[in-house]
Amino acid sequence: MLEITGLVKVYPGPVAALQGIDLDVPPGMFGLLGPNGAGKSTLMRVLAGLLEPTSGRVTLDGIDVLDKPDWLRERLGYLPQDFGFYAHLSGRDMLLHLLRLKGVQAPGGLNGLADELLERVNLTFAAKRPVKSYSGGMRQRLGIAQAIAGDPRLLIVDEPTAGLDPEERLRFYHLLAQLAEQRLVLLSTHIVEDVAVLCPRFAVIRGGRLLARTTPRAAREAVAGLIFEGVVSPGELPELRATRQVTQELLVEGRHLVRLYEPSGAAPMGFQAVTPTLEDAYLVLMRAGALPGLETSAAAEVRP
Amino acid sequence: MNFARTFEVFRQEFAHNLKRPLFWVQILVLGFLIYMMSTGKAQIGSGDARVGGKKAWITSEFAVGQMLVMLMAIVYVFFVSVAAGMALIRDDEQKVGELLHSSPLRAGEYIWGKYAAVLATYVVILAFHIGFSMLCNHVLPHGGNAEFIGPFSVAHYLRPMFVFGLPLLVLFTGTCFAIGGATRMPVLVFSFPIGVLLLDAFFLWDWSPAWLPLGVNRLLQFADPTGLRWMKETWLLVDKGVDFYNKQPIGLDALVIAQRFAIVAIGLGCVAWYARRFASQLRGVRVTPAVAQAALAAPPSQAAAPAAATLAPLASLGMRAKAPGAVAMTMEVVRTELYQLVRTPGLYLFVPLILIQTLLNEYGVGAFDTPLLQTAGSLASGMFNTLTLLICMVILFYTTESLQRERGTGMGAIYYATPLRTGAMLAGKALANTILALAIVAACFVGCVIVLAVQGQVSLNPAPFAIVWGLLLVPTYLVWTAFVSAVFAVTSNRYATYAIGLGTMILSGWFQMRGKMNWVFNWDLWSATKWTDIGTFQYDALPITLNRVTWLLVAVLLTVLTVRWFERRERDATNALLRMRPGSLVRAMGALTPFLLPPLVTGGVLAWQVGDGYQGAAAKKANLDYWRKNIQTWKDAPAPVLAGVDLDVKFEPTEHAFTMKGSYTVENATDAPMVRFPVTVNPRWKKLAFTTNGAPASTENRAGLVIVNPPVPLQPGERMTLGFSYDARHPDGSSRNGGYGMEFVTPSSIVLTGFSGVTFTPALGFFPDEAVEEGKNDSDPREWPEDWWKHEHGAAIPTAGRWFDVRMKVDVPANLQVNATGEKVAESVANGRRVTEWRTDHPVRIYNLIAGEWQVKKREGVAVYYDARHPYNVDEMLDALEGARRWYGEWFAPYPWKQLRLSEFAGWPTYAQAPAGNISFSEGIGFLTRSKPDANAAFWIAAHESAHMWWPNMAMVGDGPGCEVLSEGMAHFSTLLLVEKMRGERQRQSFAKQMESRYGRLRQKDSERALVKIDGKLPGDTRIWYDKGGWVLWMLHRFMGEERGLAALREYMAKYRDAEVPASLEDYLAIQRAHAADTTAFDAFTKQWFFAVVAPKYLLENARLEKDGAGWKVKAVVHNVGDGRMTVDVAAAAGERWPEAGKKAAPWKAERTVITIGAGERVPIVLHCAFQPEKLVVDPDVRVLMLERNKAEVKLAPAAGPIAMR
Repeated sequence: MLEITGLVKVYPGPVAALQGIDLDVPPGMFGLLGPNGAGKSTLMRVLAGLLEPTSGRVTLDGIDVLDKPDWLRERLGYLPQDFGFYAHLSGRDMLLHLLRLKGVQAPGGLNGLADELLERVNLTFAAKRPVKSYSGGMRQRLGIAQAIAGDPRLLIVDEPTAGLDPEERLRFYHLLAQLAEQRLVLLSTHIVEDVAVLCPRFAVIRGGRLLARTTPRAAREAVAGLIFEGVVSPGELPELRATRQVTQELLVEGRHLVRLYEPSGAAPMGFQAVTPTLEDAYLVLMRAGALPGLETSAAAEVRP
Repeated sequence: MNFARTFEVFRQEFAHNLKRPLFWVQILVLGFLIYMMSTGKAQIGSGDARVGGKKAWITSEFAVGQMLVMLMAIVYVFFVSVAAGMALIRDDEQKVGELLHSSPLRAGEYIWGKYAAVLATYVVILAFHIGFSMLCNHVLPHGGNAEFIGPFSVAHYLRPMFVFGLPLLVLFTGTCFAIGGATRMPVLVFSFPIGVLLLDAFFLWDWSPAWLPLGVNRLLQFADPTGLRWMKETWLLVDKGVDFYNKQPIGLDALVIAQRFAIVAIGLGCVAWYARRFASQLRGVRVTPAVAQAALAAPPSQAAAPAAATLAPLASLGMRAKAPGAVAMTMEVVRTELYQLVRTPGLYLFVPLILIQTLLNEYGVGAFDTPLLQTAGSLASGMFNTLTLLICMVILFYTTESLQRERGTGMGAIYYATPLRTGAMLAGKALANTILALAIVAACFVGCVIVLAVQGQVSLNPAPFAIVWGLLLVPTYLVWTAFVSAVFAVTSNRYATYAIGLGTMILSGWFQMRGKMNWVFNWDLWSATKWTDIGTFQYDALPITLNRVTWLLVAVLLTVLTVRWFERRERDATNALLRMRPGSLVRAMGALTPFLLPPLVTGGVLAWQVGDGYQGAAAKKANLDYWRKNIQTWKDAPAPVLAGVDLDVKFEPTEHAFTMKGSYTVENATDAPMVRFPVTVNPRWKKLAFTTNGAPASTENRAGLVIVNPPVPLQPGERMTLGFSYDARHPDGSSRNGGYGMEFVTPSSIVLTGFSGVTFTPALGFFPDEAVEEGKNDSDPREWPEDWWKHEHGAAIPTAGRWFDVRMKVDVPANLQVNATGEKVAESVANGRRVTEWRTDHPVRIYNLIAGEWQVKKREGVAVYYDARHPYNVDEMLDALEGARRWYGEWFAPYPWKQLRLSEFAGWPTYAQAPAGNISFSEGIGFLTRSKPDANAAFWIAAHESAHMWWPNMAMVGDGPGCEVLSEGMAHFSTLLLVEKMRGERQRQSFAKQMESRYGRLRQKDSERALVKIDGKLPGDTRIWYDKGGWVLWMLHRFMGEERGLAALREYMAKYRDAEVPASLEDYLAIQRAHAADTTAFDAFTKQWFFAVVAPKYLLENARLEKDGAGWKVKAVVHNVGDGRMTVDVAAAAGERWPEAGKKAAPWKAERTVITIGAGERVPIVLHCAFQPEKLVVDPDVRVLMLERNKAEVKLAPAAGPIAMR
């Protein structure tokens, strides 16, 4: 269990990136969803021991990892949002270096393990190329390979699917799903689909505050019967935006397909009730700040 | 190029540069140095040191130019390299390149905009430099150094800036900018400035033996981009007089103008080259069509990915993780760091750089520009500063870049989240950089091996390298690595680390140069240690050990701080403030105490050692107290003269100690009874006691001046026995920063004399001059009356006015042999001690004692005692001793003592001294040289010291002005005679040229006085005694003619050998005059050379070579731009006068004419030659002392006209 209590991070400026996060993360896959600038990466970096918080407490299995970062590092797999590698090393050598630093062991030896991991992320073909020749997606896959190596108790992946093509994204989903069976995986993303596919539980963060902690099903159910879809002309859009809670505006084959949230459950003229998606629930939450029936976090006080 | 876009690039970069710590640290460092120089006396070496004498202004164009060039080469260059070299690399790391270059911005606009911004930044700093110099020099008040400030002239500042400063900036910025751009490797941008500094500081600025051909010298001047070598060689080496330097602009010649344009062209050319390269590679490196075809034809490299579902579950891999041990982690970091290290070209640049530097040792010269015979120890020690500088620079750059690497590559987040311990990471990086340092050291070692192999005389001994580089250099490396790491850990900023690191090195260098460093703070042991094969670091083993231990402990402390402060987890600003609360700070200090205390303790002990040492504050105070307490009462007080010496001395060399029990027979040589008399003792002697005629003496110790009250007044002519006993140590405690005394007691070498100071035995009398400290109680030289020499006066060596006998009993450890004044009359070895007894076989005036572990080589009446490792020049020295006994004996007077011995001592000080029959001779000035006809220090110095047996051991000289010419000048003059007799005319000319060159380079024109006035109190006096004195005495001898000259010399010896009143130079001239054939000509000669200051300097103007029937005609005008009227030969010559053995050379032919030419005069000459002459030379036989002899010779060519040459 990862327990986050009253976590505050204020950058000089000042900018309050985390304004009192309280969150319990049980074993398994857990998603952290939020828009850009919500504080997700700050939270991930604090949890990974790379950033000192202003205040708060973080424990993993009862151990205060802020006080004992070395303890955490021995149990951590981490894929940052933005990272690089030693440019002159080959992908395989880079991975081997990190495996050795992590103290990873495998029955077939490290070389065999590195090859296996590279195969898992589909980099066998480029194993001997210097990393500087890798594309963005290849670097991301190499990052995934190092993150999943070993037997991390806590795996933190920050925007892991950015830069991956659909096929690789699917491959990564499988990998994460396997890993989540025996450990705690914290997936930070702004892509709702990632959470929808992978996470039985997730939290929504915005402006450094926790907006909700729920499951995809509960989120969808919270807006069930309240999402309506219709086609409108371009001239109707401004009024609709002004009078209704429009969640999505899509152009489909040249027509304006609009989905909106109607808390009363009464369908507007020309709109039909549709089955809500997690994205509907997320977007409603982003606009409304709260959803009836969802567990939310109270605003935390900034502790000196 | 679009100006607006270029300017936008410029504006951004320029604004950024002005905000960087690098910029402001350089401003601070420069500001400090400029202010300190304005308050000090950082003027050029010219002028008159006397009160009211002409002073060289620090505001002259020469002074400003010299300082500007040095600051640019030492301070600017590294800051420039960081700013210029990193300008493009930084954009790479910030990943702005693609955004910038997807805009309409063109490659040329980007490159030139960036470069212009870097250049402009340093032009701003240069402008600050000049402006602040003007402010400090002309606006801020000056008290003590106001006489060094000249009138304000903006040209004095702007001309050096434009001629030397700006071109150098263009060169440094351009080359570093291009290197950084082309390689994108931060470390490489520092290679150019390091190369320039090493080459300049350790070679180009100083290496200039007199025998260096002018052409080579000019080439080296051109090669020095700073222009300092050109400035020194062209204007500064031979003093032009303070008026010249104060008022004249730095005259530029074609060479320096061409050089300045060349370096601007190189700087801008590098940028232009890189701009083209960048433009061509902006859209990727082009490949040849063939490569492209092959790539297109190849199958796709990415294999079809296996479906995820087909892969075995991750759990099947059986991965486990257990944090590896510290050693394994460290080695893993080392492995990866090394992998990258060997793939960057830095290693392959710095290694050859140090190799070249090392090989230049082959051209190292010592006394009289004689090539040094390098040994393992001299090479290890000689390369110590170079290695220190290079390794510290390399470590600064490599450590910083290594610590920055994870952040620069973006790998930090992954790397720092691994279980890798911070300590292991830092250790791994440091170890990898150690490999680089080792590679540099190994290259240096290889260079040393090559030098030794090329010399082919000295075998390789690895021990000195292990000791000097292992024990002394390694702690420097460790503490510097720890310091750089700690700075990086605190600042988390590579540029701040560079700035602080460079600032630290520059300020350390500043304190070194100003003589303000001591053992405690000399973290890199810069110039503090000196190697000797004979007694490795025995002189100052304790301070060296304490220094190294202290800085090793500092390294540990800094390492602990680095591990704690290294920002692996980004700190929170609020918490950082909270940690500054007093309670937190106290707790943090408490945790650091175990690491802080040890260096404080060892450093404290070392500080106490320095303070209490013989150069410490207490010793200085004791010295001044001696002067203050007694100057009014005891100045000129009569003292008895020595009539006999009897010493029993027992040495404990491991303690640097000896116990003395001895006595003087003293005689009242005055006309009045002596109620009391002064005896100077060393204030640091312990258990000091005196007896008179065997009974305890009534004495008063007045701060080192013991006043002895005889039981009854000592009547005129009466003698008494003055007994004394004490315990002494030499060196007594630690030096301040590695200064070495002339005399010492160490386990393998002992040198003590009874005439220089009070290191060995008490001195009869009060000697205020011995207690003069510069800037404290020094004064202008005494102005002597013209006829001072006609009145009674004392001896130059106060205790040496009379002949006396000496008995010495010397007790040393049995491993040491002893050579003391006199003949050995007894020797016994028992219980590990050797006891010898010495008695003079003929009275002496000066005595000494030398001990060492020696081999001996003897000939009839002469012997050389030498270290077994230094046999190389022993025969040369024996020749000199043997020749001296024979020829000096024949020319001047028979040698009175049975033996003439020369004994080697450990080369901490480099000098030789010649008390009667027993020459002490440093290992560093003749034993380790490679004799050649042009430079033969071994023979020349041995001949000089041997001549001292006559001058002044037999004919003591007076204590007035000019008298030392009869000692040191006579010794040089005698050497010229002996060299010519035994080694021939070629060596005589070479020795004369060396003397002339040293005189020319070290004289200070404005304060030079006539030979009869020189008293050693002004800068340059010593060289005039030796070199000008010897030269002029030789010219006088030639003027007199062999027979008359020698007759006069013999008469002088006969008259003054036993004279009550020692000789003056005027006495000597009077005797010579009595033997002169033409007293009018004699007076004319001596008037200008002894009673006035003249220094001829001849130029050959309008030299033309024309066909003249079957022969050739040479026309020229000889112009004496110096002083003096002399008759001098002018020769048109061809061929090789002294061809090297085995080499084919055209025979020497010369056609001569003789002219007499006075100051400022021009004399036309015409020479008709039957052969085609190659050169025209004034004074081809080196018979007239002149300045800048190389300018008195021109090459002759029929068509091209004259070419200046040496």
